[in-house]
Amino acid sequence: MTGQTMAYTPEELMAVIISREVRDFETVGVGAASPIPAAGCILAEQLQASHVTIIILGSKEYYPFPTGGSELHFLAQRGELDLFFLSGVQIDRQGNINLHVIGDYNSPEMRLPGAYGSAMLYYMAHRVILFRAEHTRRTFVERVDFITAPGITPESVRREGGPTLIVTPRAVMAWEKERREWVLAAFNPGSTIEDVKQNTGFELKAAATVKMTPPPSEEELFTLRTTVRAKLGRIYPEFAGKKIQAV
Amino acid sequence: MYSMVQAGSMGVPFTAVRGLIGSDLMKHRPDFVVMDDPFNPGEQVVVTRPLRPDVAVFHALRADRFGNAITPGLREDLMMARAARLVVVTAEEIADKELGVQDAPHNTFLPAIDVDVVVHTPGGAHPCGCEGLYREDQVHLQEYLDASKEEETFRIYLDRYIKSGGGQREYLGRVGLQAGSGGVG
Repeated sequence: MTGQTMAYTPEELMAVIISREVRDFETVGVGAASPIPAAGCILAEQLQASHVTIIILGSKEYYPFPTGGSELHFLAQRGELDLFFLSGVQIDRQGNINLHVIGDYNSPEMRLPGAYGSAMLYYMAHRVILFRAEHTRRTFVERVDFITAPGITPESVRREGGPTLIVTPRAVMAWEKERREWVLAAFNPGSTIEDVKQNTGFELKAAATVKMTPPPSEEELFTLRTTVRAKLGRIYPEFAGKKIQAV
Repeated sequence: MYSMVQAGSMGVPFTAVRGLIGSDLMKHRPDFVVMDDPFNPGEQVVVTRPLRPDVAVFHALRADRFGNAITPGLREDLMMARAARLVVVTAEEIADKELGVQDAPHNTFLPAIDVDVVVHTPGGAHPCGCEGLYREDQVHLQEYLDASKEEETFRIYLDRYIKSGGGQREYLGRVGLQAGSGGVG
């Protein structure tokens, strides 16, 4: 950590990390139940990406279409979505995500509400950032119980993009296309390389140069806690109120 | 799912969907079939069936006697109505003039040609909300969720609220609401 320690929530940190990945002039989409990426995209729009087109399911302000959820779905299928965000109850070494069941599919220990269009969106968005607020060995596993959407697909399947990064409160992991696995790209303030490895259920190699994630700047935090908090509050009132601090 | 409903609305025999190949969904969905893309040799693609529901029910803010209806918000209602074989609209209010698309600038317009039945049903979205008019009834929704965990408790729920006679007015009375009072939800 640097000399100056600024208190922020894990969700604020993740939103800031995500915001830095959004590029100006892109079209970015945020699916259901995804307040952290929504905050990140709106923050990017306020800072370095003022020309970004943001699509947030469940938002009026950030939904530039005349009908419902099919608009985002078909836009992605046309290959026009630059960046999308997915999560998983489990995420594995090979980039597979599980949004369906824990345990056996036919007699599951836990059944999840469903995957929306993940099994298409993971292929057709140009870049997909995975996010997960819980970084433990039960979420980052060697092999998912059910592949909702795969990290790797055969050559015969049209795939515009795929996994790019995983953002958690502990670290940023990057997808190594050649090796077909995740590598540790950066550990977050308050964490260490050892801490990340210990809490990851698969063997995680470190990138050639592992950095510490730069902590949120004063500008990032202030913008997040003012403009972004207000806009996010119209989509995710409970999250904005509890997880993003008021100034 | 969207593709399947859209295919249903279009009347085509099957439709192609991107992605999916490599997902475990393919092991459990006999209605998802891999085939070679006939127009792009060497590329594989999933084809699936159209969805054609027997009945679709939409709750509208307003409807007219011809079947034109305005449903809250901007959703896929038109696509879903076209996919369904029988379309029922329940409406908060029956308009005394013929409704057109110009009456629904921020809502969804269902034209009469896609609607089969209109039922005047104030408070008809309960225990869910009706955008702009009333919010969801959290207390009742929780009661419903709790009751639906077991067959027996759900039967009691149905007997108490649904099967105990009368119509919409009586139902609203049983859940502690009054039609037309503005106090729904």
